[in-house]
Amino acid sequence: MPPAIETNDLVKEYGELRALSGLDLTVEEGEFFGLLGPNGAGKTTFINILVGLVRKTGGEAHVFGHDVESEYQQARDAIGIAPQEFNVDRFFPIREVLMHKAGYHGIPTEVAAERADDALRRVGIYDKRNERFDWLSGGMKRRLLLARALVTEPDLLILDEPTAGVDVQLRHDLWELVTELNEEGTTILLTTHYIEEAERLCDRVAILNEGRKVTVATPDELKTRGTDTVSLTVEPTPETTPALGPYAHEISQSGDRLEVKVDNGSRITPQMLNDLEAAGYAITDLEITRTSLEEIFVDLTRQADRTVTRSGESESAESTEPREQEGVV
Amino acid sequence: MWSIGSRALFKRELSRFVRRPKNTFMPPAITNVLYFAVFGVILGTRIDDVAGYEYLLFILPGLIVLGTIANAFENASFSIFHGRWNEYIHETLTSPLSYLEMVVAYVAASAVRGLIVGVIIAAVGWVFVPFTVESGSFTVENAAFLVATMVVISALFAGFGIIGGLVARDFDDLTVMNQFILRPLVFFGAVFYSLTMLEPFAQYISLLNPMVYMVDSVRYGLLGHSDFLELAPAAYAEVVPLLSLGVLTALTLAVLALDVYLFKIGYGLTD
Repeated sequence: MPPAIETNDLVKEYGELRALSGLDLTVEEGEFFGLLGPNGAGKTTFINILVGLVRKTGGEAHVFGHDVESEYQQARDAIGIAPQEFNVDRFFPIREVLMHKAGYHGIPTEVAAERADDALRRVGIYDKRNERFDWLSGGMKRRLLLARALVTEPDLLILDEPTAGVDVQLRHDLWELVTELNEEGTTILLTTHYIEEAERLCDRVAILNEGRKVTVATPDELKTRGTDTVSLTVEPTPETTPALGPYAHEISQSGDRLEVKVDNGSRITPQMLNDLEAAGYAITDLEITRTSLEEIFVDLTRQADRTVTRSGESESAESTEPREQEGVV
Repeated sequence: MWSIGSRALFKRELSRFVRRPKNTFMPPAITNVLYFAVFGVILGTRIDDVAGYEYLLFILPGLIVLGTIANAFENASFSIFHGRWNEYIHETLTSPLSYLEMVVAYVAASAVRGLIVGVIIAAVGWVFVPFTVESGSFTVENAAFLVATMVVISALFAGFGIIGGLVARDFDDLTVMNQFILRPLVFFGAVFYSLTMLEPFAQYISLLNPMVYMVDSVRYGLLGHSDFLELAPAAYAEVVPLLSLGVLTALTLAVLALDVYLFKIGYGLTD
């Protein structure tokens, strides 16, 4: 079975602006895949190329093995998309909007009506089925976008910032629903600004910045790339800051309190304790603070200096490509 | 080409205007009541017959053409442009419909609206000037010719409407197309006069106006009268109406092909 999404050297230029710069990305069938990146990173451009709303400038993009341009019908038939914008037909009650969408996908009217009802029930707005889009609340509109994406029973569900601006309850409802869909076998591509969302839902995430892939990894793998802080209280109070091995990127001291920046706190700490004890210190308190995914995200996408600190070495964002590609795709 | 998908889009397009008769069917009905009242009842009695027909009857085919093509154009251009403006055309564009299916559905629905308006205008005209088969030389052949011509010109202007909807950058552009291009061409398209009333030079200029052929063809189909039959050399007299229809059909196919091409390259639709 071909991957759900496979792009090679995908390029999109808007005049002088390069929105995507040779993006290689593969999303396997059945995966819950997250796309993270700051505004303007190219996430929506990437999605819109897959569904035909943006024409690529170069490279290749396939959905379940179908080229998005030469086999656009097969590619689009496999995709259900819930976009950021409320691009819904305002002329008709929402049930009919869903029936139309199902119809465009070749689903006969009777079946389309059942599908529309099912989708509306699933997202919890069935009782609003005869209302028009403009009459729905913001949260209901978001739900409708998801229902419209689901009405064609897609193999690939694309969610572009699905929880932007929604309340906590709805966010949790949506998380529950998309998790359920993924468990049923639907491949899901999620773009989000919410790190917690990606961490909670995604099998793997790709971080994009300025149209380039910075990295692809599982949320847990990503976390190991950050710098943890090990806080220790030692006796006696050091007169000068103790010297530690190269694993310590930064040591700060305040009285008997030491703060040491290391890559993988839980792995490095035993060695650090040994080194401190060998230097004549007793450890009376210890705390490891792990880097949040958010901090790693900021670190990876920092524009001025996209440097990832790791084990005493410095790597540019671009140079992370070969490594993360081993585990990818 | 006429798959479940294209039928669904056609039905959606049809529903949009059928459910809003106040916006779609009432305006042309009222406008034509005014035309008939002023040009027919008030002024018509002071105007001599034209080409042997009561003036109101003579202008009726032109008014039918005017209403039909204006509505076919307006429907297609509005539907495409409004969908672009509010981005709900994405529902269509992200679907597995082929570009040909999309164009066929949009054009067919807009052509149907044009034809319905044409029938409404004919009905309004009939109230003012009850035309009968005896009014003209209305034969089965002419009826077939009339239907074929109406279908072709409504499809042609629906096709032009697609281009208009793709090209327009705001709603003003749509108004400009309708008011400054379409209407002048129709008004100088021998709707209210016969070509035979013009000086030879004006006749030649008129031949550059495609509307002249449409109005003349519909008048021929409805009344059996064609200005071209009177103006053309005798050797061509029998083929002139069919030639007009042939050229209009070819033009329609060319415009539809251009529509499909524009959808394919995403003109006005994709970034």
